[in-house]
Amino acid sequence: MNIVVVAACTSGIAHTYIAKEKLIRAAESLGHTIHVETQGTIGTEDELSMEQIKLADVAIFAIDIAITGTERFKGKKVITVPTNVCVKSPKQLIQKIEEELNK
Amino acid sequence: MKSFVGELKRHALTAISYMLPLVVASGLLIAIGNLMGGQVISDLDALTIPSALTSLGVFGMGLLPSFIAGYISYSIADRPGIAPGFLMGQIASFLGAGFLGGMIGGYIVGYVALGIKKYLKVPKWAQALMPMMIIPTLASIIAGLIMYFVVGTPIVWATDGLTNFITGLDQSSKVLYGFVIGALGCIDFGGPISKVPNLICDGLLMEGILEPEAIKVLAAMVPPLGITFSLVLSKIINKRIYTKTEVENIKVAFPMGLCMISEGVIPIAMNDLLRTVICTATGCGVTGAVSFSLGVGSPVPSGGIFVIPAMTAPVAAVIALLAGTAVTGFMLVFIKKRKTDADDIEIEEVEEQLDLSGIKF
Repeated sequence: MNIVVVAACTSGIAHTYIAKEKLIRAAESLGHTIHVETQGTIGTEDELSMEQIKLADVAIFAIDIAITGTERFKGKKVITVPTNVCVKSPKQLIQKIEEELNK
Repeated sequence: MKSFVGELKRHALTAISYMLPLVVASGLLIAIGNLMGGQVISDLDALTIPSALTSLGVFGMGLLPSFIAGYISYSIADRPGIAPGFLMGQIASFLGAGFLGGMIGGYIVGYVALGIKKYLKVPKWAQALMPMMIIPTLASIIAGLIMYFVVGTPIVWATDGLTNFITGLDQSSKVLYGFVIGALGCIDFGGPISKVPNLICDGLLMEGILEPEAIKVLAAMVPPLGITFSLVLSKIINKRIYTKTEVENIKVAFPMGLCMISEGVIPIAMNDLLRTVICTATGCGVTGAVSFSLGVGSPVPSGGIFVIPAMTAPVAAVIALLAGTAVTGFMLVFIKKRKTDADDIEIEEVEEQLDLSGIKF
């Protein structure tokens, strides 16, 4: 699977980046390709390219707050979860998504 | 219903995320200015550098209701919500309904703007005017009138009621409430639960009640400082309770903790969540109880140890902080399991079972 993620938490300094690390580690160990954009207090980092979004099978919004740039994902399968789901159970989340997509 | 509550919370959290840098910068400006002898000035002739800093900080604090309202509204209705949201914040300031008024105003105007965006159909030539003119103006008129004539007075009552309640507490209830505010305020290390009591503290600060804010500032430092203290203790009594990776994380968490950012302890706490949270929450509670009963107040909502000199009773503040840190430290050393070299090898992370069935695309 090709996965793109936007992560953003309330204070934008910790959960955002923990979620990012966890998702990347989980996705890679399951053999998926993943790109993660973070919208922290510092601003947007690792911004997703249109190419990456176009190629993605699914987009995960790991967010506790409103994010910018959602219009880029028009027509994409998008799943929105709080950051703590990605922190606690990144693998289960990805496996669950895979199941749903294969249905 | 549950998802609606979740939505309301997400809007509030969005606003807080935009507000935090403003609060920190303004708070520190006031603290630095006050420490150098500055005060709020209205006459340019009296301008000194310290007074300039203090005044600017107070201006920043005055923006808070607008920030809250503006960004709650933004979170609900996107960009057309920002301008009317800021206006509702101004009404809240004017009514003396401060923070609570800003929040309520933000919700009202946000949903009004969203409703207009969704249901008001305009001819094609007017569509370009929608985000620029029609939504902001119409939303401001509707929500503004509601704020002035309907909800304004009850909000002022509620704010006054809360203010009177807190100022009227006797010594023993201060210990209790101090403990609760402290413990809740850092139970998830700066996460969404702790934002709620912290928000109330910020609101009370704007009403001129400084004590809860001191609890917030002091208690937020307890988890990282307590964990650091437990590391030191564990070395002294030769009981190893942290892995090498965790020790590295503590070295990062400590300086962050001094600046009142408790998030640094999350990676450490995650490995042993229940035990760690029990210890840190108790420590935070103790700090809160001591701080409240000794009457420490903080005019600054953020900044960690650097704002302690600006508090109303700096020595008592340090005592409260040390008490909580000691409690957390001793408890951790006592109840955490001993670690061996084998624990240093990264073990497959055990994931919590989660119900993901509610997730939809």
